[in-house]
Amino acid sequence: EAGSLAHSRGDGGLAEWVLVELQGEVEARHSGGLAGSLLGDLHYTREGVPVLIVGHHILYGKVVQLEKPFAVLVKKAAGEPDPAGPHTHYTVTALIKTKLLFKTRPKPIITNVPKKV
Amino acid sequence: GAMRSRAEVDATLQTAKLNPAELLPAVHCLSFGPQASTGECYLLQLEPGLCAELEAGRSLVIRGEKDEQAVLCSKDKTYDMKIADTSNMLLFIPGCKTPEQLNADQASCDIIHSQIAGFSNNYWELRRCRPKLKKLRKLLMEDPYEGPDSQKDQTLTFSKYTTEDLLSLIQASEEEILHQLQVINACKIEGHWRILEFDYEMKLLNHVTQLIDSESWSLSKVPLHTCLEELGSLEPREMIEHILLSYGRRYIDDAGEVYFEMHEDKICRAIAQMLLQNAVKFNLSEFQEVWQQSVPEGMTARLDQLQGLALVDRTSRPETILLLKVEDLPEDNQERFNSLFSIRDKWTEVDITPYIQDLCAEKQTVGALLTKYARSSMQNGVKVYNSRRPIS
Repeated sequence: EAGSLAHSRGDGGLAEWVLVELQGEVEARHSGGLAGSLLGDLHYTREGVPVLIVGHHILYGKVVQLEKPFAVLVKKAAGEPDPAGPHTHYTVTALIKTKLLFKTRPKPIITNVPKKV
Repeated sequence: GAMRSRAEVDATLQTAKLNPAELLPAVHCLSFGPQASTGECYLLQLEPGLCAELEAGRSLVIRGEKDEQAVLCSKDKTYDMKIADTSNMLLFIPGCKTPEQLNADQASCDIIHSQIAGFSNNYWELRRCRPKLKKLRKLLMEDPYEGPDSQKDQTLTFSKYTTEDLLSLIQASEEEILHQLQVINACKIEGHWRILEFDYEMKLLNHVTQLIDSESWSLSKVPLHTCLEELGSLEPREMIEHILLSYGRRYIDDAGEVYFEMHEDKICRAIAQMLLQNAVKFNLSEFQEVWQQSVPEGMTARLDQLQGLALVDRTSRPETILLLKVEDLPEDNQERFNSLFSIRDKWTEVDITPYIQDLCAEKQTVGALLTKYARSSMQNGVKVYNSRRPIS
């Protein structure tokens, strides 16, 4: 399946996105699926350390400049008229040159400290 | 769900026992966008140079038929594509700012609502590879051009290929394809790329060399104008010019006239091919005699002109030579070595090099290939290579 990676926008160049790398899998908290649901709050310390609060966890990470940037490709939706023939088309939508890498074990946020009886 | 407010963010910070004074004022509230789980977004890891190409507005193309492994092509390079898995989850987020960007922009918004566009646990990895050009010759050999007097029906176009056709069928970049077309002496006839049928090509070459001889021209100063004048009645002008271009170097003298400096090695090589294809094997010294007599006056036929075209056997009595064209051999590395070892079980490095040189990847040496695909031993004080595995 040949395909062409066409440029999506000529004006202003390609958008630049950021990659966030987390350990484990992303799962929806409720049956409604992921769309629209919150992941968490992303802060940075004044020293530039990314801090991600996801549910009851705090994750500390670091900003990494990627040695090999990524291109984000979006597959052209099926059913769209394709003058070039029966080939798959991918559009380069953005470039990613930076990632926020969260490798540390999440620290749980303790909300209740049980009282000693 | 509803977008988070500053109050909610601050409450979370408090619960997490983080001191807002130690943080930058801006916060990204990350949520999953509407299309995030559809899996329509792919990550492609870019080799050096490709990022700059995309930013310059140039496109990349994925090429490959159903039975071929997909490759990615830039304007002048070809890459194998492979999926790389990661044990981590990669989320791609538009509009997410780095600390650097937030610090630089004093007016940055307090809360940035960022939607995660997609996520993945794998990405496409690229590795520069040799362009897969064997198919190019194969396609053009389906219908070689035999000249205007050919009995073949020239109106049939199903086996003829335009540049666009070749771009969609060959797993190589445009520049690599165009370069290869030049290497194989292809020419464009009525918009289609054609390879000349060998006998016709030799007929054209012969017209030119005979003319050079009868006019007593210097081999380095063959005038285009006179060639077209003298030979134009015998062959199409485009074909005369094409053969001059294929076997010579075009230049313009101070008076503005077009000349060709004929390529001695190429001409001698073509004549050798013409002689060798008439039989399976030749007595080497007899062949060399006939060959020298067949080349144009002033040219010297030398065996080193036949690298990758003919194989000399110095172990047989008498010594022999046979036609073996590297372009007729398999393109895949292992298959190429299998094929070579089935022709001869032991090769010296000097003999095998012309037949494996084209397999070398970027920065790879012939020595590295031999180490990988062959086993070496000493024979009569000379290092020879043979197959690593038994050939059936």
